[in-house]
Amino acid sequence: MVSIGYVWHELRRRWSRTLVTALGLAAGVGLVMGIVGVSNGLSNAQGQVLSPLSSVGTDIVVERTVGVANTSSTSSTTTTTTPAGGFGGRGGSGGGGFFAGGVNSSANASDRTALANNNSSILTDLSKLGPPGTQYSNDFFVNGTLITFPQQAVTDVAKIKGVEAAVPALSLQALHETGTVPTITDTVTTGGQTVTQTVRPPPLTAAQEAAVRNCLEASGVSSGGPSGTNSTGGGGGGFGGGGGAGFGAAFTKCLPASYQQYEAQVVVPQQTITRVLNPPTTNTQTSSYTVAGVDPSNSTSGLITKAQLVSGTWFTSSPTNEILVSAAYASSNNIKAGQTWTINKTPYKVVGLVNPTLTGDTSDIYFDINTLQSASSQPGRVNEVLVKVNKSSNVDAVAAAIKKELPGATVLTSKQLAGQVNGSLANAKKLASDLGVALGIIILIAALLIAALLTLSNIAKRVREIGTLRAIGWSRGRVVSQILAEMLGIGLVGAAVGVVVGLGVCGLVDAFGPTLSYSIAGAVVGSSSASGLVHQATATAASATKSIQLHTSLSVLTVLVAAVIAILGALLAGLAGAWRAARLSPTSALRDLG
Amino acid sequence: MADPMTPVSVETPPLYRLRGVERRYLKGEAEVAALRGVDVDITAGGFVCIEGPSGSGKSTLLQLLGALDTATAGTVEMDGQQLGSVGDGVLTGIRSRRIGFVFQQFNLIPTLSASENVALAMAPQHSSKAEREERAEELLTRVGLGHRLEHLPSSLSGGEQQRVAIARALANRPEVIVADEPTGNLDSESAGEVMALLIELQERDGVTVIVATHDPEVGQHATRLVKLRDGLVVEDVDA
Repeated sequence: MVSIGYVWHELRRRWSRTLVTALGLAAGVGLVMGIVGVSNGLSNAQGQVLSPLSSVGTDIVVERTVGVANTSSTSSTTTTTTPAGGFGGRGGSGGGGFFAGGVNSSANASDRTALANNNSSILTDLSKLGPPGTQYSNDFFVNGTLITFPQQAVTDVAKIKGVEAAVPALSLQALHETGTVPTITDTVTTGGQTVTQTVRPPPLTAAQEAAVRNCLEASGVSSGGPSGTNSTGGGGGGFGGGGGAGFGAAFTKCLPASYQQYEAQVVVPQQTITRVLNPPTTNTQTSSYTVAGVDPSNSTSGLITKAQLVSGTWFTSSPTNEILVSAAYASSNNIKAGQTWTINKTPYKVVGLVNPTLTGDTSDIYFDINTLQSASSQPGRVNEVLVKVNKSSNVDAVAAAIKKELPGATVLTSKQLAGQVNGSLANAKKLASDLGVALGIIILIAALLIAALLTLSNIAKRVREIGTLRAIGWSRGRVVSQILAEMLGIGLVGAAVGVVVGLGVCGLVDAFGPTLSYSIAGAVVGSSSASGLVHQATATAASATKSIQLHTSLSVLTVLVAAVIAILGALLAGLAGAWRAARLSPTSALRDLG
Repeated sequence: MADPMTPVSVETPPLYRLRGVERRYLKGEAEVAALRGVDVDITAGGFVCIEGPSGSGKSTLLQLLGALDTATAGTVEMDGQQLGSVGDGVLTGIRSRRIGFVFQQFNLIPTLSASENVALAMAPQHSSKAEREERAEELLTRVGLGHRLEHLPSSLSGGEQQRVAIARALANRPEVIVADEPTGNLDSESAGEVMALLIELQERDGVTVIVATHDPEVGQHATRLVKLRDGLVVEDVDA
């Protein structure tokens, strides 16, 4: 029904028409591919952000975060689902229990103590670091936004129906301090002086005088009558002498006590005082990194898995002094697998480098959880439980069961985590979701309309030719088939050029595309504003926004669909134009331009 | 001068029998009568010249004879078959197998070579590509263009283009060649060559040639002369 040679010559010898129509289609195909590629890229970026959950087979993350008491007057950014009565106590009446528990639960006293310690401030006592000039290097482990709970919770979660595995984790912030112990005291010697003081006693009162006289008389010393102290007449009195056992001794004896000792030399005691200089001048430098304790016996699920090793090996059977280091941290600190890395004066062997994830759950250094619990003085405590559910359809039910089992726990499913991705990544993804499809359809329709108009215009110019074909014996069907074959050729050219354009657009986006920022709300729940228990510095560190490069993604199916749509569009446009022209009687067609 | 209502020949069944043929068009809101009741019989094998000034209805009559159009009133029979009562498919078949049409403007497909233009007419006959090419070459050689097979119409002279058009009209060995002012766009030399070709077809191959023209010289070659004026036959004579 179709003359291939005719089609070929039409396309080749009317190449400008072929090209313009094909380019119209190509623009549509290319732009649609670009939009789909960017949209897929955003989906992949989000998937990559969330991949830690899926890649390590974690369906649910259980955390314990600072709850919001009903009486709280402070605004809070927390997204926790902690009910009133959880951690923080019902109505603020005091420490809660293990996740929730009773207000007076004595079984949770140790938990309350541990929670209080979770949030203690970091103080460096310079006086205990050695003499001035001593170089020091310390690492402090603090809890950040995630507060701890007893490891018993892992066992409790594991018992819930539908839970396939529950793995503990302890994610902490680490602050590294280095510096030189400054001069913080000096000594001063005081005292040793002799002090002389002259005292002029007041006159004796009448009673004192009478007492003295009586005393003297009793001692055999004549006083010679009363003195004139209080007398206005009479001769002078005075102490008479005469016989007796000696006046001096008797006089001394008879004086009032306050006259017997009234003059002394005082020697101030000598002492050396050590003074604290305020403020001491220090050169302390601090840096922060993140650490996590994982279960070395479970290499297939948890915060990090054996599959994420990029060099070295997994923990050995004696993991106490072994660590895994993230590839990024290792690169920036020039750490190699197999070397020793000292933390808090303890040497650890770097058994392997891992390529962890992009979420807030990533850490720079991974310890055996027991080691980190000891190093952070938190024996038996964890702050995350990573749960794998036996069937994806059970995730919500298990999450509900965990909330019931551990009231006050924040239970995040991977689906919820996806909804908590914020930042330009989420905005771009939302934009792509909301507008991308509509924009793609609009562009494609516009491209097809342009192609249809060009085709109709071209066919209108060929009405006389179509009339000629009809006059020499071509049927309507043959004419329509011939034009459809031509449009198929144009559609193929348009699709091929469009695919190249689409790949080019995606390549340009990849080359110059934006870096998308993101944060995950679930990773920053329980900020310091909730209760003030969380240390400010660590809260800030945990809520840091991360970024990810946008890489477009196109599947073969997408390319094929776009190409097929272009071809079908061309055929549709050709069909409309050809049928319209072929319906004309040959004479009308010939008369049209003849 | 014959009575227009009387058939010229009654001895053999005519190839065409036209009775009371009218063809009216709407031109804007006005109705234009191109033919206003034509009665003509045309026997096979003749060279019929339809003469008349512009607007006399020559082209309209040829389109009816060429099965390109149907009458609005009256009947057009070809070998006893009423062309006005058959469908488009039948008319297309008649055009393809029995009639070759030659236009004043040549109407060659500009993107195809001379050979391809001729072969194009054979496409509906389901002949093989080789057969079509061979036949095209044979026909083009016959019209004196054996050396111009691969030339595009744009590189051919008007006379050459019209000869290609005649070759195309002959492609399916038609019984009738209908030519609407075939020399109207040609110089006198080319016109002479084209007319000689048409006469040869009629005389040597027995093809019925029906030519519309307002050139009196063309009429000199005719075996039958039909003159039209204002949509009516005013003269119908054997030459």
